[in-house]
Amino acid sequence: MRYLSQRLLQFSIVFFIVTFGVMVLMRLGLNAPGDPARTMLGGTVSQEMIDQISKQYHLNSNLIVQYWYWLKGIVWSQDFGYSVQQNISVATYMRPKILVTFFLGIYALTWGLIIAVPIAVYQAYKRDSNFDKAGNFFSFFFISVPALVFSPFIIYVFVMKLGWFPRIGEKIYPWDNFGEHFRNFFLPVVVLSLPTAAVFVRLLRADMIATLQSDFITLARAKGVSPQRTLWSHALRNSLFSVLTSVGVQIGSLVGGALVVEQYFNMKGMGFLLISTILSKDLFVVQSLSAILVASVVFANLGIDLLYTVIDPRIRHARALV
Amino acid sequence: MQTEESQETITPPKKRRRIGWMFGAAWISALSFCALFASRLPFITDYDEKVLVAGRSKSYGVGPSAQAWLGTDKSSFDIFSRCIYGARLTLFVGIGATILGLFLGGTIGLLGGYFRGRVDRLVSIIVDSLLALPPLLLALLIVYRLDDLKLEIWFWSVTRPWEITITLGILAIAPLARITRAQTISLREREFILTARSLGAKNSRIIFRELLPNLIPTMLTVAFTGLGILIAAEGALAFLGLGIERPQTWGRLINIARDDLDRAAWATLFPCLFLLLTVVSFNILGDHIARRFDIREATL
Amino acid sequence: MSTEDNSAFLEVVNIKTHFETPRGVVRAVDDVSFSLTRGRSLGIVGESGSGKTILVRSIMGLLPKRGTLREGAVMYRGENLINKTPAEMRGTWGREMAMIFQDPMTSLNPLMKVGKQIAEPLMSHLGMEKATAWATAEKLLHDVHIAEAQRRLSQYPHELSGGMRQRVMIAIALACGPSILFADEPTTALDVTVQAQILELINEQRRQRNMSLLLVTHDLGVVAGNTDEIAVMYGGKLVEKAPTKTLFAEMKMPYTHALLESIPKLNHAAHTRLATISGRPPDLVHPPKGCRFAPRCHFARDRCHSEEPPLTAGKSPDHVYACFYPVGSAEYSERKVEISRS
Repeated sequence: MRYLSQRLLQFSIVFFIVTFGVMVLMRLGLNAPGDPARTMLGGTVSQEMIDQISKQYHLNSNLIVQYWYWLKGIVWSQDFGYSVQQNISVATYMRPKILVTFFLGIYALTWGLIIAVPIAVYQAYKRDSNFDKAGNFFSFFFISVPALVFSPFIIYVFVMKLGWFPRIGEKIYPWDNFGEHFRNFFLPVVVLSLPTAAVFVRLLRADMIATLQSDFITLARAKGVSPQRTLWSHALRNSLFSVLTSVGVQIGSLVGGALVVEQYFNMKGMGFLLISTILSKDLFVVQSLSAILVASVVFANLGIDLLYTVIDPRIRHARALV
Repeated sequence: MQTEESQETITPPKKRRRIGWMFGAAWISALSFCALFASRLPFITDYDEKVLVAGRSKSYGVGPSAQAWLGTDKSSFDIFSRCIYGARLTLFVGIGATILGLFLGGTIGLLGGYFRGRVDRLVSIIVDSLLALPPLLLALLIVYRLDDLKLEIWFWSVTRPWEITITLGILAIAPLARITRAQTISLREREFILTARSLGAKNSRIIFRELLPNLIPTMLTVAFTGLGILIAAEGALAFLGLGIERPQTWGRLINIARDDLDRAAWATLFPCLFLLLTVVSFNILGDHIARRFDIREATL
Repeated sequence: MSTEDNSAFLEVVNIKTHFETPRGVVRAVDDVSFSLTRGRSLGIVGESGSGKTILVRSIMGLLPKRGTLREGAVMYRGENLINKTPAEMRGTWGREMAMIFQDPMTSLNPLMKVGKQIAEPLMSHLGMEKATAWATAEKLLHDVHIAEAQRRLSQYPHELSGGMRQRVMIAIALACGPSILFADEPTTALDVTVQAQILELINEQRRQRNMSLLLVTHDLGVVAGNTDEIAVMYGGKLVEKAPTKTLFAEMKMPYTHALLESIPKLNHAAHTRLATISGRPPDLVHPPKGCRFAPRCHFARDRCHSEEPPLTAGKSPDHVYACFYPVGSAEYSERKVEISRS
């Protein structure tokens, strides 16, 4: 528990630093009173309007005060601010877009794991076999393929040539029409999940090979435990650490991939929103989106820490002593 | 004894590796050569020369042919030459960013790993913070702001290519710092460092004479692999509209041809291929160096 | 060969185990033969690198298949095990033959409860239900003298002491009532005080369950009081074998003698220099041409370097050794005088 609270503190510090940093970065150069409001409103607006918005969101106070009000709004009243340009609250504006990206990310991670685990386990088991070599080749290849290259190729083949999928991945929720949802999300998820799977395969294979050489695996064999059981119940669990640790970093690169994929597939997701709001200087939207992304990375890392303690009793034990 | 023996039985498939390595090195050298001497090589069309293939020009360009090997884009520019000119800037930006990242990330990683304690905690917070924001988002924010601020440092006005170099360099800090820090920590406990310290060597001497030389193989590996990643990131930035206007890099070419994918696939797929081969090649080179120096994959 | 004839319970005939490595073929075990009767115990002694661990794993068939070459025969109850696949061996592993490993820290699965690790073979071999298996596991922990067995079952290996972990390992080995127990340096990783207890436990269980025991160690002192017979290995070969008493009384191999000399003794005066065997174990890729011990042997002569000594029978029954100029021979004594003079 003490360990977790320590981590929580550490992650909160990171969260504050990053969100504050984003705010400062967005406002660099907007020093004169009224500047932030004017920037946010864009175009020519009346002075009264600027004054009103500035006052409402404390935009003329110093940065720390502004940050405080923004954070307070989020925590106290789930008020993520107001998109003046769109004339709606940031929360309403963001929600459908975040869901799209959320689905992309969750599917990509899940599929990444589902694809990676059996391949890596079998590769490690049949080391140096042709299967292992092919696995190494493909994982190396897919790690190197940027989403920017993968998307056009896959669209060219599966949309243009084969016509199996629609080019534009409109957001359709699974609860509305699962078939359509699947059709729309399939290709983008492939683009995002294969490189993720490739990273997982490489990490897991290396760890599995090390684990399979350890004495307790020989003991399991000497006990007469079946190879399947030895692999899945003894070796796999002891080899999950690198993969789990990498999930946190993978979330970051998935969001990066999503930015490109959403553009290429015309999916109106978070990446779409981020780019348009950064360009149109919609300060509150950019701030809130960054905050949500940082928070998800931070929570994922916390979750992984918790998972460690579930998987490895030694960590539980050691941490109880801390 | 048993483990020793079983490890010895691993025979690496050397031949396949060598082919991969040679391919990577060949591609990078050919690309760099063409990019460096683009304006002097006869088979590369000038950047602004419009190419009419068989006297034709279509609104979405014309496919590969003898005049334009990889076809033309919608403004009748030769895609091959655009890709080469793009490579020029991409490589420049990528290498510049890697050097910047190596310097900054390496320095803070080394300091954190060597001095531990408070310095290390500070380094950890910086690294964690940089990693908490998805890298591409961080890049977008920084490029956009740098662009907006129109920085003038002394007599050096920061132009787009420099902005992107700086941005990508900042992206490279966190991973490089993390690796350097981990390496430094493990090296620091090794005998030769302990010996140097017990002999009363100064910190600066230990860092420059003992630690740094031992960090180089790892840094080299990471630099090559990182170069691939940074070039991909540059492509993504350019694709998302925050690239360089002139010469256009691959990401931007992909973006321009996007709507014509069904009619003029070559205009998209060839720049994609350039990007892919370059990223793969740098990864292969990084991998090769890692094997040469026997660096474990986990440290990456 | 009759099946239940006690004289040929386990018979290892000319077993060879070679590994293919980039450096060449490692002859880790080269032409070793011996037999073991039910309920008896054999100690295998040798330096690290003498091939003793490989020998044991070879007999059980536990070596990785890739790059490993096994020849000869392992006759167990009239059946040759050497060509069996791991799938065919699985019924033998744990059920007929069980193994105790050197380091209980690394040999137990760190992420699995002790109870489950003991119950696993019970469930797969004897088809026990989970509850029965755990109850049996508790009984086994009692058998290996672990107090509070109930509580220990739901603990993880890292929560136990080294000695206790080794007891757990013994419990796992005993679980399905095997008839042969292979103990590979079972006490090397343990505190000296615990070593004797563990050896005693192994012997006690062997007698109670009428098991055969193959005890592998580098320490002649460990086998001395614990096994009926002793086999000495050097450089992948069996160089001397005799019933324990005979061996100590009439050891013939200079190597065995050197091993014995290297054990500190109580009756030595303080600060006596401990005899060591100079040089290093032979390179098993390019083993010496003649006797493999010759390069390190003070008593070696030209013949030793060119010709391989065969296993010859000693005076006492069941005593064999491979040496041209054994301890006590004229040449041996002659050289001994020379050495003491210089």
